Order: sequence, then structure tokens, then C-alpha cells
Amino acid sequence: MKSAQVVLGVLSFVVILLTWEAAVRWGWVNPFFVSQPSAIAASLNRAARSGELSHNIAVSFREFAIGYGLSVVVGILAGALAGRIRTVEYAFDPFLWFLYSAPLIAFYPIFVLWFGLGVPTVIALTFLLSVPQIAANTLNGIHNVNPGLIRAARSFGATERDLLWKVVLPASLPTVIAGLRLGVGRALMGVVVGELFGATAGLGYSISYYGALLKTTDMIASLVVVIVLGVLCTQGLSALEARFDAWRTSE
Amino acid sequence: MDAEGTTTDSALAGRKLSATALSRPVVEPAAHLRLENLTIAYDKPKGAGKLIAVSEANLEIPRGTFVTIVGPSGCGKSSLLLSIAGLVKPASGVVKVDGKPVTGPGRDRAVVFQDFALMPWRTVIDNVRFGLELQRQRTLSADDITARARRFVELVGLKGFEHYHPHQLSGGMRQRVGIARALAVDPDILLLDEPFGSLDAQTRDEMGSELIAIWEQNRKTALFVTHSIDEAIFLADRIVVMDANPGRITEIVSVDLPRPRTVETMDSKEFIEYRRHIRESLK
Amino acid sequence: MSYRALVSTLTAAAFIALWELLPRAGAVDPRFTSQPSRVIAAGWEIIRTGNFRHDVAVSLAEFAIGFSLAIAIGVPLGLLLGRFTPLRYLLDPPIMAIYATPHLALLPIIVVWLGIGMQSKIAVAFAGAVIPILVNTMAGVRGVERSWILAARSFCARGWDVFLKVILPGSLAGVILGIRLGLSRAVLGVVVGEMYQSQAGLGNEVMRYGSEFRTDYLLFDVLLISGFALAATSAVRVLGEKLWTFGK
Repeated sequence: MKSAQVVLGVLSFVVILLTWEAAVRWGWVNPFFVSQPSAIAASLNRAARSGELSHNIAVSFREFAIGYGLSVVVGILAGALAGRIRTVEYAFDPFLWFLYSAPLIAFYPIFVLWFGLGVPTVIALTFLLSVPQIAANTLNGIHNVNPGLIRAARSFGATERDLLWKVVLPASLPTVIAGLRLGVGRALMGVVVGELFGATAGLGYSISYYGALLKTTDMIASLVVVIVLGVLCTQGLSALEARFDAWRTSE
Repeated sequence: MDAEGTTTDSALAGRKLSATALSRPVVEPAAHLRLENLTIAYDKPKGAGKLIAVSEANLEIPRGTFVTIVGPSGCGKSSLLLSIAGLVKPASGVVKVDGKPVTGPGRDRAVVFQDFALMPWRTVIDNVRFGLELQRQRTLSADDITARARRFVELVGLKGFEHYHPHQLSGGMRQRVGIARALAVDPDILLLDEPFGSLDAQTRDEMGSELIAIWEQNRKTALFVTHSIDEAIFLADRIVVMDANPGRITEIVSVDLPRPRTVETMDSKEFIEYRRHIRESLK
Repeated sequence: MSYRALVSTLTAAAFIALWELLPRAGAVDPRFTSQPSRVIAAGWEIIRTGNFRHDVAVSLAEFAIGFSLAIAIGVPLGLLLGRFTPLRYLLDPPIMAIYATPHLALLPIIVVWLGIGMQSKIAVAFAGAVIPILVNTMAGVRGVERSWILAARSFCARGWDVFLKVILPGSLAGVILGIRLGLSRAVLGVVVGEMYQSQAGLGNEVMRYGSEFRTDYLLFDVLLISGFALAATSAVRVLGEKLWTFGK
């Protein structure tokens, strides 16, 4: 990253925060609607001290970990199976296509009927939103493995199992990890929206809760936490992706 | 006329060769293209100073000459060509066309690029129209532009492929489009930047023969950058030999092989002698 | 019929058959899973109510306005940011932060700002769609190869010509991709926005049928919305392929 990029990037956030604070202090905008950075910082501080913040993060994180964890396992297995066996791929095709492009959150009321209001529904939504992305990327990654590599491995007498572990998986890893990164975004969406609609704790719940009470400051404070967590998760997986992708760019 | 800096042994050998091969009185017509102390420099990344791509190049090219520029990679031959095109600003010195300094791209010059630089969303005919649209849309109607583009598509042997997209063509066919695009605007000077560099050997020879056949028809001034010695000799009236670190012109060799040239030309004793000489000169 | 199409059709058909037959055989409770025949019957009833037509009109209007605004702002801004590096460095971090955020988390604050009427849904649809359109347009512009621009300049093209003949058509693939991604997010924004708090719209119906335990009706609406999203996305893809030769 160039230094100009870092400087301008930081500057951008500083300017946004200062303008926001100043606009409220000088009475240009109504703090009831937009709150102000200093008040949000105070609200976060209060939530952190009272344990409310860590409790909400813990609840959301648990839902995220279970839903996303399940979809990593299921998505990679299903994607690998479909990637290696053509009939399976064709059988999955219509379902994967539907799950990938339909607005799945609209199925939320059905999940409530099946699983009841609360944590299980949030987990189901998280899983369902992220699994098609991970499966689709795994499938693509395996399909795009250079057939020359497979032929080369076969010429050295590789078995189907050797092929999978020594050629196909390493070669498709960057695409799979890209799927994991995109899946994180969709899983976060599942957690937050699930909690927005019906939950008793969690970050999405607290956004919705304070929203209903018209407590803008506390609502934006929770939103900020969601944004920061979203950026951290995505950046973390991007870094991972860059590490596993290094051989590809230098190829 | 000769280049400055011809003080190396090989350069002297070159003089001897031109003296034996070209023992005729030389009356130079006024230069069509002239480089005066041309120096081209690039900024190194992270402000680490300047990289001199071409240093103090002097060159005179009479109208109607086919000049090839040959040299190792990094000798600045492409930079030289692009600065004549007006696409790279020299650090010092000037390029003059008909005595007038070049300040940017102009209608008197057209470039054929190494990586073809075709617009992937345009068909063959539309790619050939590209330059005409940019230069002539005020003077020519759309129909005239199309008619003219069609003529040049036929000239380079792509009749029947007018509505193909670049990705459907082989490398050789793509570069034919690139050549047609440049010729269609009727430039006085044709600038070719390693146009056949990414083609396989056989296609490359074919394209060379065809290019020279097209060139024979109206003998425009042409500059052709290459790193292939054979290509350089086969095409040229005059070869500019360059060396790297810093990029500079080390020798200029006149090629006195009869035209039209054919594949057999490459087997002649003279050709082999030129080849040996240029190879020595590049060492 | 290719082997691929055969297998896909067979599994899809098998799914629908099982969905129909399992409740009939008493293996699952149709109140929870519904059945294709019941969904169709429910659809037939829903379509004939005047309320449905009103809800569709409201949802479509919210979608159309929010999505059009997102294109009108996202594409020009993306072209601008793609061309001007300092501006991109300045705005890239906040844009990426918003991109990494689940945009539907903005729902409650947007409701506080704009109320529970159509404006808040338009805003959510816009907020969802504008970021992928912006980001992919930017990527499209940066995918324009230097050599294309150099070629145009060698034919004496200047600013506006370079933009019109090279940058715009060269980045079109990115723009179309952004519009496609933005489209599904706009649909999602409208529906989820209506599900969250609203007085009308298909999302409102979905939530109501859910609370009334009318699975058949609920599924009809949800499948209708999915069908719309899939059809519209495919339409954008076809349009993109048609536009490929744009910029002659």
C-alpha cells in the first residue's frame, strides 16, 4: 500500500468524524437523528463497562460461529463432491442456483414456524445465507484446476485420493478461501437481520431495540460495532486469501 | 549521414561493411524524421531517482525508408518509438517531422502495438474504423469510414472476418487488424513496436513478408522495432542497432539487399553476412 | 436433451414430487411445509384480491425508484473514482467499510429517519444497490488496459474521446456486473424493509401470512419475489451481452 493511500484513507475517516461532530455542535443538524461521535463513544464506553456490549457480542458471535461453521463444513463438502462427480454437480445445480440468487431472507417467517423465534432461527438464516456462496466457490475452484496438473500427477501414478489431497485441494484453495470471505459477509447479514426481527440479545437485537425506543445514539453505537466487526472479519480473510494466493499471482 | 557514437570496434566494422556493400555516392534527401539529442527518462518507483531509457539519440531518416531498430530488451527501443509517436515525452532533445518538432500524437503518424491494443468489444471492422472515427469523423461520413475500413481489412487479408471479435482470432490475425487500423488513417510515418513479438516463428515470417509487400505499394516511411536480427535485416533499408544501460544508438547499418525480398533472400550470402555483423554489433 | 439438463430436471422434479407426496402420505405436516398444489391454489386466490395488486405496485415502485437512484449515482461516481486516484484513496476506506457491513443493519436507523412509509424502503434499496454498483464500476474502470488508452491517444484522441470510446465501453462489463449484484440487493432491501416495518408491499404480506400461519400464501409470495429477482437478474445479464458491442 502506498503511503499516500494510507494518509488519505485515515484523513477521510478523520474528516467524516470531525464534520459530523461539528455539524451537531454548531446546530446544523438535529442530534436526535444523527447523534454525534462523542456521544456514541460515551455510549460504547458505558455499554462496555456494564457488560452489555460483551454480552451482545458473545450472543451474536455464538450464532455466527455455529451457522457459519456449519456452512463451511457443508459448503466445502458439497462443493468438493459436486466438483469431483459430474452427476452430483448437475443434481445440485438447480438448488444451488436458486439458493444463490433468491432473496432468502424472505423465507424468515417459515423458519420461525419451523424453529421458533430466536436463536435457532438466526442460526438457520446464517447458515442458509452463507452456504451457497461457499459451495459455489469450492465447485468453481475445483473446476478451474489446470487439467495439465492432473494429467501430470496421473503420469506419476497418483490415485484419486492423492489427486484430491495433493493437486485439486491446494490448487483450488485460493478460490475456496475467497468463498469463505464472501460467505462471512452473508453470514453476518444472516445474524444481524435474524436478530433484527426476533431475538432477546445480540448486536442486531440491540440496534432494533434502541431503534424502537428512538435512542439514536445507542442504536448507532451498536451499528458501529457491527461495521467494525464486519471490516475486521473481511480484512482477516482477505489477508488469509492473499497469503494462499501468493503463488498464483507470481505464477 | 551516420549516427553519433559509432566509435566501437563493431561500429567500425559496420562502416567497412557498408563501404564494401554500398560503394555508391550517397546523396541524402532532406530528412523526413529527425531525432536530435533525444533523451528519455522515467521516474523510478518510490522516488529513487530517474531511469535513463534512451540517452542522447541522434538519427535522420529520409522519406520512404524502412528503418528497423534492433537491440536487447531494456535498450529503450520501444521508448524511442513511442516518443516519436508523441506518446512519451522526452526528458530533453527533440523529435522533428519535416523539420517541425513533435509535441504529441499527430495525424501524420500511426502506431502498431506489440500487444495489438485492439478494443475487445469491437469487431474487426469496427477496430479498423477506430482510428478513422477519432481522426476523420468531421470530414468523412460514417459510410465513407466503413468503406475505407473495409478496404483495409481486405488489404491485410481478413475479408470474411469483418464481424469477428478479437478474441475469436489468432495472434497473427489480430495484428493484421492492428496494421489495418494504422494504415487506414493514411499516416506519413508508420511506427511498429515489436508488432510480431508475441507471434510464433512461422506466423512471424509470413507477417513480415506480407507487411513488406504492403509497404512496397506506397513506400511510406516506416520504423519497426524488433529484437529479431533476421526480421530486422529482412525488412530494412537501414538498421539502427541499440545497446542497453543506458539505452543508446551504437550503430546504423544500411542494408543493400534487392527488393522485392522473398524467403530466399534470407539464404543469400549477403544476408548471412549482415546477420553475422549485427550479431557481433549486439555483443 | 443434454445429460446435464436431464439430471438437473430430474432432481428438481423429484424435489417437487416429494414435496407434494410426503404431506399426502402423512410423513410431514403440510401446515409447516405446504405443498406445490396448495401453493398454486393459494396463488390463484391471492392474485384475485385487490390488495395484492396494491402491494405489488408499492413494492415495484419502491424497487424501481431505489434501484434507479443507485444506478444514477453509483455509475457516474464509480467512473469518477476509477479515473481519479487521489479521490479513490480518500473515499475507498469508508466505501469498503460500508461494503463489509450488512447493509440491512441500517434498517432501524433509516426507519427513524424516514418513517415506515415508502421512503425508507427506497432508501434501503438504494443503500444496498449503490455500493456494489459503485465498487464494480470502479473495478471496471481500473480494468481498462493502458494499451487501449495509448492506442486511442496515438490516433489523437483527447479527454472526452478517450472516455467515450475506451473507458466507458471498456468498463461496461464491470458496470453490468455491479448492476446485477445491486439488483438482487435492491430486491432484498425492499422486501426485508417491508418485512421489518411497513404498511404495504409484498414483504408486508409475507410477514402477515407468517404470523397467521398461512404457509401456502406465504410461500406463494416468497416464490413470486424469488422468481422476479431471478428473471430480472437474467435480463440484466442478457442486456450486458447485447451491449458488449456498445461504443462504436
